[in-house]
Amino acid sequence: MSTLLQNNQIISGELTQQSYSIDTFLGAGTQGEVYRAQANGRDVAIKWYFPHYIQNDLQLRQRLENAIRKGSPDNNFLWPLELVTQQNNNTSFGYVMPLRPNNFKSIVDLMRRRAEPSFHALISACLALSESFLQLHAKGLCYRDINFNNVFFDPNTGDILICDNDNVDVNGATGAINGTPRFMAPELVRGDSPPNTESDLFSLSILLFYMLMLHHPLEGKREASIRCFDQSAMNKLYGTEPLFIFDPQDNSNAPVVGLHDNALVYWVLYPQFLRDVFTRAFTTGIEDQHGRIRENEWRVILINLRDSIFYCRCGGQNFYDSDSVKNGENQKCWACNHSLVYPPRLRINNAVVMLNHDTKLYPHHTDQSQKFSFATQQAAVIRHPQDPNRWGLQNLSTNAWTITLPDNSIKTVEPQRSVNLTAGIGINFGNTVAEIQV
Amino acid sequence: MEIIKRPGGAMANRPLHFFWLADCSGSMYGEKIEQLNYAIRNAIKPMQDVAADNPNAQVMVRAIKFSTGAQWHIATATPVEEFKWDNLTSNGVTDMGLALQLVAEQLDVSQMPERCLPPVLVLVSDGQPTDDFNAGLAALMSKPWGKKSVRIGIGIGQDVDLEVLQKFIGNPEVKPLQANNAEDLVKYIRWASTVVLQAASAPASQVKDQVSTGVVPIPQAPIASDVEADDVW
Ligand SMILES: Nc1ncnc2c1ncn2[C@@H]1O[C@H](COP(=O)(O)OP(=O)(O)O)[C@@H](O)[C@H]1O
Ligand SMILES: [Mg+2]
Ligand SMILES: [Zn+2]
Repeated sequence: MSTLLQNNQIISGELTQQSYSIDTFLGAGTQGEVYRAQANGRDVAIKWYFPHYIQNDLQLRQRLENAIRKGSPDNNFLWPLELVTQQNNNTSFGYVMPLRPNNFKSIVDLMRRRAEPSFHALISACLALSESFLQLHAKGLCYRDINFNNVFFDPNTGDILICDNDNVDVNGATGAINGTPRFMAPELVRGDSPPNTESDLFSLSILLFYMLMLHHPLEGKREASIRCFDQSAMNKLYGTEPLFIFDPQDNSNAPVVGLHDNALVYWVLYPQFLRDVFTRAFTTGIEDQHGRIRENEWRVILINLRDSIFYCRCGGQNFYDSDSVKNGENQKCWACNHSLVYPPRLRINNAVVMLNHDTKLYPHHTDQSQKFSFATQQAAVIRHPQDPNRWGLQNLSTNAWTITLPDNSIKTVEPQRSVNLTAGIGINFGNTVAEIQV
Repeated sequence: MEIIKRPGGAMANRPLHFFWLADCSGSMYGEKIEQLNYAIRNAIKPMQDVAADNPNAQVMVRAIKFSTGAQWHIATATPVEEFKWDNLTSNGVTDMGLALQLVAEQLDVSQMPERCLPPVLVLVSDGQPTDDFNAGLAALMSKPWGKKSVRIGIGIGQDVDLEVLQKFIGNPEVKPLQANNAEDLVKYIRWASTVVLQAASAPASQVKDQVSTGVVPIPQAPIASDVEADDVW
């Protein structure tokens, strides 16, 4: 229900003098209301501020003007495009931004299980988030309010969109928003320090944990012992006495069966390297700002995590954990409980890429000088056209590969040709070498 | 067959008990009670939307009506998705104290689940209590869940005893809201059932220097509209 603007009302752009016609109301937040609007047959979104909010946030206009001038850090932000004002009304103003398409769902939908991405799509969304926040932070900016309601994702593809960019400011600037409870770093909850890049990184770790585990990393026994979950309880849990539910040194805040089941289910499902990084994020990273996990580390971890997905014959996506394989553990599928059979895999330096029926390799995998590039497919797992029992890795790049067979003989794999997925074959992609393991 | 993509259930959450306490005394007769009925019906959908967007809470609604005596209007805690409003009618005196006694009984630890979010109590009245309000308030505050509740007071018209509402709220930083016309009443009722509901379960972005004492920080209430002559009670 809208309270500020009416249907068909015309407001005008400060930069372009464009007239925007207000269409439907999309939603309200703490700072204002968001509407769909049209200009020249094009759909956009317009956020219009509550007059009382503007009075509390004196830097707002200046901050928005800066953001508009600098432009979006990348394509995943619903970034302010221009300010809008209304004739004969100077009590408020707003800004135009791209409209979020309907295929994007909120993180709340993910938490309530109204959006069900595959692990692959979910991890892609986590990766895209880390990359976009890296772009924003690299520009010297601070986001200040990473939370459930400001991030959207496409459950089919893992594409993401980040909205509510009106609090973004130069790192260190004083702003009006301190963050959202449950996401704020402990030093912010305690009021010890204002938001900065490091507190954004803490919030990002919380969001990633929520997305991957559907649970908050600090809500264990201590949460269970609280009857009324009010402000003082939150201050304690997230501010003065934060303790990771899987702290290896202190199990006094462990998850409680029946209350925190998602944490218990998901924690053991993922590989050790993911548990290790979350453990650092919420042990050393909890009090020490220097201990926060940075986006470029998340990128590596999340790509490795996505590359470790393989399929059970029931279709369930599981994770290959080289640590548990080394320990000779018998891994069962979480979906059907059958013992899992590992597909062939490719070891590239310290990373393992599962060679599933649908695996593709990108420059990130095949070219050391192009880490994090997923621009073009460089290789794909394919089935032999005549012999359905034979699988290979097809060269989709423009360069020949050199392969070393187990008997040390050397062959070339020209573009479009394929190499058998046979144990012990080494592949030299050019400046990167890999080995097929079965 | 649709394969299950990921294990586990929905994110863990807690119940949030929401209580309407509505004045149905004779002075509410006519337009006022109808406007209150309208305002609450109007707030149902926004309230459901806020609840649906909040993974931290499972919102349960109940309602008490008070005039000569106090009774349950909605006695069973109803999931907000199923919440409907049967119109109230008015006549009798203003036994507000008894209404507080009634809600206090339900806020006893023996009646409440072990773990909850702070309960929300929204008291709407157009006058002053005719019974022992202080005894009712004392009964409410004697319950731990009563003390932990988030209390909002909405006054209708000029005759409301704002001091009593302020006492009920029990937090000097949160003022009673005085609705002088139907439009304001709609706004305030909606604010209580959406913004306050949200604040009690998953506080939104923390605006610097906002009211932060009390059980949970309560964001600013909407501002009264310009009064139009024919819309004044
Ligand atoms: N670009 C957009 N396209 C579609 N919906 C949007 C867009 N930006 C915000 N919204 C919706 O508008 C509502 C309020 O937006 P938000 O910016 O979070 O408000 P606030 O910052 O005041 O809390 C939310 O429901 C959000 O999903
Ligand atoms: Mg917001
Ligand atoms: Zn299976």
